[in-house]
Amino acid sequence: MELTFKVNGHPERLELEGHETLLDVLRDDLNLTGTKEGCREGECGACTVLVNGRAVDSCIYAAMAAQDMEIETVEGLATSDGLNSLQNAFAESGGVQCGFCTPGFLMMLTALLDKYPHPDRVQVRDALSGNICRCTGYAQIEEAVERCIRQRTIE
Amino acid sequence: MSLLGENLVRTDAVGKLTGEARYTVDYDGKDLLHGSLLRSPVPAGLIKAIDTTVAESLPGVRCVITAKDAPDARAGWVLREQALFARKQVRFEGEVIAAVAADTPEQAREAVAAIILDLAETQAVGDMETALAENAPLVHPEWKSYQPVSGEDYPRHGNIASELMADDDAVDVAFENADLIVEDEFTSNRQYQAYIEPKSAVGIYRDGRYTIHTGHQYPFNVRDRVAQYLDVRPSQVRVIGHSIGGGFGGKLDTGLEPYAAILSKFSGGRPVKIVNNRTEDILTCPSRENAVIKMRSALDKQGNLLGRELICHMDNGAYSGEMAFMPSVIFHLAGSVYKVGNIRVIARLVYTNTAPTGAMRGVSGVYFCAFQERHMDHIADELGVDRREYRLRNLVGNGDTLLSGQVLDDADLLRKGFEKMEEAAPWSQLNDNKKPWHGIGICAGTWITNSMPGSVQLILNEDGTVTVVTAATDNGSGAVSMGITQIVAEHFGLPADDIVVTMPDTDVAAYDGGSQGSRTTHIVGRAAGIAADELKGMIFDVASGMLEAGRDDLELVNGQVGVVGYPDSRISLGDIAMTATWTRGPLSASGSYTTAPVPYNPGCASGMLFPFFPTPTYHVHLAEVEVNPVTGNVRVVRYIVVQEVGRVINPAGVRGQIQGAVAQGIGHALYESLRIRDSRYLERSLEAYRLPLAVDMPEVEIITMEHPHALGPFGAKGVGEPAIILAPATVACAVSDAIGRPFNSIPITPEDVLEAIVGKEKQL
Repeated sequence: MELTFKVNGHPERLELEGHETLLDVLRDDLNLTGTKEGCREGECGACTVLVNGRAVDSCIYAAMAAQDMEIETVEGLATSDGLNSLQNAFAESGGVQCGFCTPGFLMMLTALLDKYPHPDRVQVRDALSGNICRCTGYAQIEEAVERCIRQRTIE
Repeated sequence: MSLLGENLVRTDAVGKLTGEARYTVDYDGKDLLHGSLLRSPVPAGLIKAIDTTVAESLPGVRCVITAKDAPDARAGWVLREQALFARKQVRFEGEVIAAVAADTPEQAREAVAAIILDLAETQAVGDMETALAENAPLVHPEWKSYQPVSGEDYPRHGNIASELMADDDAVDVAFENADLIVEDEFTSNRQYQAYIEPKSAVGIYRDGRYTIHTGHQYPFNVRDRVAQYLDVRPSQVRVIGHSIGGGFGGKLDTGLEPYAAILSKFSGGRPVKIVNNRTEDILTCPSRENAVIKMRSALDKQGNLLGRELICHMDNGAYSGEMAFMPSVIFHLAGSVYKVGNIRVIARLVYTNTAPTGAMRGVSGVYFCAFQERHMDHIADELGVDRREYRLRNLVGNGDTLLSGQVLDDADLLRKGFEKMEEAAPWSQLNDNKKPWHGIGICAGTWITNSMPGSVQLILNEDGTVTVVTAATDNGSGAVSMGITQIVAEHFGLPADDIVVTMPDTDVAAYDGGSQGSRTTHIVGRAAGIAADELKGMIFDVASGMLEAGRDDLELVNGQVGVVGYPDSRISLGDIAMTATWTRGPLSASGSYTTAPVPYNPGCASGMLFPFFPTPTYHVHLAEVEVNPVTGNVRVVRYIVVQEVGRVINPAGVRGQIQGAVAQGIGHALYESLRIRDSRYLERSLEAYRLPLAVDMPEVEIITMEHPHALGPFGAKGVGEPAIILAPATVACAVSDAIGRPFNSIPITPEDVLEAIVGKEKQL
């Protein structure tokens, strides 16, 4: 089966068997290893990527379902100037510890902030209910969201 | 400008935020093979035959190995009791029986499924009560033959893997003379470290040596354990560290490393990668042990503690790992917070046919504190004394001693902690304004900074930057990416960007005791300071010649050396390094450190005694919870930590450690539990194992007490663990207060809460 889709803006064409997950295709076929596998059952959110702007758990998302779609992964966030405002806010707030869940959090929050540029705390926490971080206890991740919103408002 | 106390961004942040950071699972290569393991499907059994012929004939399979292919050796942290592959007996569900390497992960898994295993299930010893019963079957019938790594002389017998006894006859007298005796029994379940990165490892056998890639908390422990399993000298094993996707004590001993190593040897030296799926990871991870503690206190009429008896049974699972030391933790903690009079401690580590337990963050101390604090609340209630007041009456202070005789020099910090807490949250005001179904807990605790050795080599590069060569690992805590980086930068007046810290490599750096016990910033930071002082001496020697000035007239400011009082005289560290390299040779210096042992009474206990409680820190926590009487859910609405830290190097880092530790503590108190039925875990996925989410967490209010330690780097002590030590205790006390019923078992689930509420209503 042939899969044609765009990943971080680049057109890609792959020959697949059909049963592959989007996560495996990204990691194994496209060498985009920034997206992580934590549980393979859609529970931890470490594998979150965007499919046409919507956050999905790529570990339980059939790659063939991404036919003609636009995929965004953590590798697509930074700009030519360096980290984007959300990534920067994570760095400055201490929202990163071990970093294994971080790509999933960044993609989930990217989807949230695209839809709601000024989410309140409840919206942020609801959006993060499918992403597990074992290191931070979440406070500095939530702070990073607030910092990012402030920064984007100034810009 | 000083970098101490500044929120410098961790040096690995950019890599982790862009996806560039390389974890072991991301290791790739053209010749990479994939490994998979056949694990025991039963908790106890006898292997009659293993037929690998079909598996070996499958496409892509490079090797299938079993016990007959491995050295006849046993390995272990304290007791050498575990073979690489089960030869005859299997002792827990998940124990490795065979290993396969193949071209793809799917082929490896298919080959594992094709191994024909003839295995007779035997009667499993599923819990401690069964294990300790008379004539119980032995988990290790051959236990006497096991060789202890640390000497022959510690008590173990049958299903008791290790034991510590501190028996004071005066305890019996105290109970005879008591006006009041308060007695409790507490239980706690297992807690899974649940790092988001499941374990993985890559092994390569080349030129007669094993190279292992692994994101591990303790690379030198991997080196030593792999050497034991494969029966080679430790120097024949090289361990290279990668980014660690969380550890929390679960990545302190070997997991997949020796299997990846031996598979590579049997595959012509091609690299072999093995990755746990989440279920394998849960089944085999050395989780925090379940435990039962009986605690009994003798009191006089005034409520003074005359004596205490404490019997602690800790579930070791099938192999002991680091656990053999842990009865000692109970012993030291028993006298570390309150004056408890004469005391008897019996702590036993018990073998069962369950997954081996291990050291999760705050080893054994987490449930000990929960039980001690609930017991203190119980005593205060019996006496009709306010819970906070009763604690203050009995706190240890400066000059008091632990049960070992070790003197606590600065234990007055406990009292100061209560004062700080009172300023933040006045106790009587909180109690007076308490809403229905709300409860408050206040607890105190003492914890260690692990003393294990560490080492640093500093190299002054010709561009004026400093390379830090160390095997210290950053498990995510920031101890290296913030702590060590900032400490070295501060010594040379350099920006953090000018400090490069190597990844761990046991071929390159000297021994390091791993990221455990809150030790890295304190121990390795101190080693870095020693190296920095020596390197600075060399720098001044060279600069003295370049500036034609006396050595004592020189100063190092902002990465430049100049003559005091002559600002124009400054030369850069880069120029000094360049000059040195071509005149006397490159500049580098090393520093090593381990906490010096403190005096103690060798007769204080018999058994597995870890002789001292290094570099203590002192803490007070307060929690307010809200109980939903309809659903049984508990919400932590307010949480305050007063933590003694020595010195804050990076406030964002300290905050991250405290908030994260409290989250894990709340998880242990309210949600997380690996339950065992018929010697097997009920929870086998992250769907079943309930972890704290963002919606569950309060923003922890953090008050740090700075009390610089004479030997710590700029005064810093350990920070990573203390906040988890008291979190389950404080939550359990608050829930008990909210409902007016004692909760002496953790976790406290919604079912437990509803049962308590119904029980109370029936009583009324």
